[in-house]
Amino acid sequence: MNNLKQNVRNIGISAHIDSGKTTLTERFLYLTKKIHRIHEVRGKDGVGATMDSMELEKERGITIASAATYCQWKNHEVNIIDTPGHVDFTIEVERALRVLDGAILVLCSVGGVQSQSITVDQQMKRYQVPCIAFINKCDRSGADPFRVIDQLREKLNHNAVPIQIPIGLEADLDGIIDLISMKAVYFDGEFGDIIRIEEIPDSLMETALEKREELVDAASIFSDELTEAVIEESEIPDKLLIQAIRQGTLQRELTPVVMGSAYKNKGIQLVLDAANEFLPSPMEVDNEGLNLDDNEEPITLTGKKEDPLVALAFKLEEGQFGQLTYIRVYQGELNKGDTCVNVRTGKKIKIGRIVRMHSDQMEDVEKIEAGYIGALFGVDCVSGDTFTAPGISVSMTSMHVPDPVISLSIKAKDNSSETSMAKALNRFTKEDPTFQTFVSNETGETIISGMGELHLEVYIERMRREYKAEIITGEPSVAYRETITCNTPFDYTHKKQTGGAGQYGRIAGFMEPVAEEDFIFENKITGGSIPTQYISSCEKGFVSCLAKGPWLKYPVTGVKIVINDGAAHSVDSSEMAFQAAARGAFQQAYFKARPVLHEPIMKVVIETPAEFQGNVMGSLNQRRGMIIGSHDVGQITAIESEVPLSEMFGYSTTLRSMTQGKANFTMEFSSYKQVPKSVLEAIEKKNEKKTRTGT
Amino acid sequence: MLKKQLILRDPLSSLGYETDETEKKGNFGAVTSRAGVGKTAFLVQIAISSLLKDKNVLHISIQDPVEKVNLWYKELFLNLTQSHDAKESKQLWEALLTKRFIMTFETESFDFTKLINRIDELSSQGIFVPKLIIIDGLSLDNSMQSELNTLKEYAAINNFTIWFSVRTHRHQTDDPVTILQRLGGNSNFLFNMIIQLLPLKDKIQVKRLPLTGELNDRPALLIDPSTMMIKETTKK
Repeated sequence: MNNLKQNVRNIGISAHIDSGKTTLTERFLYLTKKIHRIHEVRGKDGVGATMDSMELEKERGITIASAATYCQWKNHEVNIIDTPGHVDFTIEVERALRVLDGAILVLCSVGGVQSQSITVDQQMKRYQVPCIAFINKCDRSGADPFRVIDQLREKLNHNAVPIQIPIGLEADLDGIIDLISMKAVYFDGEFGDIIRIEEIPDSLMETALEKREELVDAASIFSDELTEAVIEESEIPDKLLIQAIRQGTLQRELTPVVMGSAYKNKGIQLVLDAANEFLPSPMEVDNEGLNLDDNEEPITLTGKKEDPLVALAFKLEEGQFGQLTYIRVYQGELNKGDTCVNVRTGKKIKIGRIVRMHSDQMEDVEKIEAGYIGALFGVDCVSGDTFTAPGISVSMTSMHVPDPVISLSIKAKDNSSETSMAKALNRFTKEDPTFQTFVSNETGETIISGMGELHLEVYIERMRREYKAEIITGEPSVAYRETITCNTPFDYTHKKQTGGAGQYGRIAGFMEPVAEEDFIFENKITGGSIPTQYISSCEKGFVSCLAKGPWLKYPVTGVKIVINDGAAHSVDSSEMAFQAAARGAFQQAYFKARPVLHEPIMKVVIETPAEFQGNVMGSLNQRRGMIIGSHDVGQITAIESEVPLSEMFGYSTTLRSMTQGKANFTMEFSSYKQVPKSVLEAIEKKNEKKTRTGT
Repeated sequence: MLKKQLILRDPLSSLGYETDETEKKGNFGAVTSRAGVGKTAFLVQIAISSLLKDKNVLHISIQDPVEKVNLWYKELFLNLTQSHDAKESKQLWEALLTKRFIMTFETESFDFTKLINRIDELSSQGIFVPKLIIIDGLSLDNSMQSELNTLKEYAAINNFTIWFSVRTHRHQTDDPVTILQRLGGNSNFLFNMIIQLLPLKDKIQVKRLPLTGELNDRPALLIDPSTMMIKETTKK
């Protein structure tokens, strides 16, 4: 382990799907001698890239789970988390960003800033992650890195400044000009690992000088020394320029842009150099935890290894030796044989084996210090748990976990599949908080829910492949919600006298819609008309009505209940009686409160060749979509729209056939909106049929 | 109720324009000022007024992305409805969105033929039929004479009006009416409504410019630069 913490980089590689993240990581590993051969993501050798360790990822050519790995480059230790590019797996990206200190934003020099890049960028902003941008695929036809830089400025609002320019483009991409050293760099050998440095070709000298001036200009804002050097027109040392760029990057006010082609092995060493030079070490990042002894007040963690341990389990994986827990230590150090506490459960854990991961291979280590990423074996926990030294109660900031928007019923074909399915579900729900599962009380079916069709599809596929579980899937169903629209009073008395002890409870108050919370309960009883000991039973009674609305049996949200009067009986009142009274009051008021049904609306962005845009817009209109607008970039039109999730099932197939496979789309949850009357009638009918047939 | 109240705040009628001018098919309007004074904000207010009257608005922006244009609408609508019931405002906003379509182009990928094709496509498939078109961010110059004339004819046939933002420059000595008059060619004057925004010390003055032969007896309006909303009418 490298003991100089200022030479550690915990970085993520994030971007739009298919912009070459996995290929780039593969090149990093090759150049840092972690692997000795290069396998392409969709390579002919059938091995797949090293970071795509899951079989399914290899087949589809996409990255699903973030595999963590580390390598060494020029005396720096680089821990890399390869993050997925598809929106359906955004939680993985968010988790990765939570533990990272810096990121490389990979962009395609042809496709430019695409919708997913915007989502990823917003996530980076949320976690204040400094980044550099790498414009990949400069060897592709239509490559234009300067257009992508303009998009970085306009669409993402980055102060993007190139620190390199390409020597040639498309098929003529020969090398890179480094605007800091003002040298031309060429990448020779089969895998571009032999670097040849030469003078800048005369034909590019003028452009290089112009771009360097822009770079110096942008960097001088972050260094008085550099500004002085510029004013005095004295020579600018490379180190001074690097320091100024670094300063701007750490403040997230400057984004240095590097470029090249991962596939053609051009410029990759310079990306690693840029990560070392401009991205922060763990010492330069302030990490906050929540002090559980002080009402969850945020506290800044010291990052010192002498202080008590605070670590976060950010990813779980089931390997052949049991559960593997990826962990980032924020403070203190975690040694083999130590005992620490899982803050969520309060249970003590003995640390057995500690490893450092290189994709699906591993290396045993004795300890993990603050600022480092590693993995533990045999620790029972869920993703997002915090481990601390005994005696301190600090939890890492809770991560933003979106509610699932789509569910699907699943059934195992036979007994052995059923056992495997249970195992798989147990593991997936631990690994991914956006993937949830439960057994329906009515039908006895197992329901899985997640962030999109593809999200669920991938897990079903993984059950088949990794667990050999044969699964039958039902129709996907949307997470509708019921809510009320007007203020309605209630006054309900629950009275039962059937011999023996009776039941009595009266509750009065009102219910009203509330936008910002799912449920609020307010007790405004004065004078003890309902004795204090029964108030919590009243709340329980109301809460029990929320899981399944009285109208269409969907969960009820956005309801505020205020109780302000009631009555109790000295003998017949009980907790049970008040729970029943609350349920009765809810039923009494609910229909008068004009309930409506809400459905999840997705933000759908479709990128299509302009000639198909009319058809694509038509298809969105047919799906009750609201088109917000379209943006023309050359021959491509990006259509932004909001479409109900219930209308999006199977859309990828429709889009493919409509556009000869030339269009693609991304989809993410936007908001809940009221279901229109015509659709509501269809849902009501479907529900009635379900009730009649009992399915 | 809210809708009716907001319609009363229509910036064009506040400047004395009659409905037959603002809604006449084929009419061109221009909001002119130097850079950064508030042309986009004023155009968006014209668009919101139109949306409130249930007229479909196609907003074309050269340079700005869809999200940014949407944000202009959102902010100005919020400013407009600040003192009204939040729930009612939200419902109204959602209803207005269905009548608006934003189309954005990169400067280099915009041309009038493409625009006409796009509008044709939207209308013929019944996706969107505009009644008002806003064209923001396009630099109009004399080389566009024939295209602008074609567009005006197209607007007349297809029954919509068009408002442009027109940026003026410090070095231009001619008044905006003369500049815009030249765009139509020798005898053809394209623009039927011209509004000028002038920055004053802590406010922006909105003047309806008289076209040739018109009298300049219209009261000017004042805009609060912090909200870009109309504040008051100034004396002549």
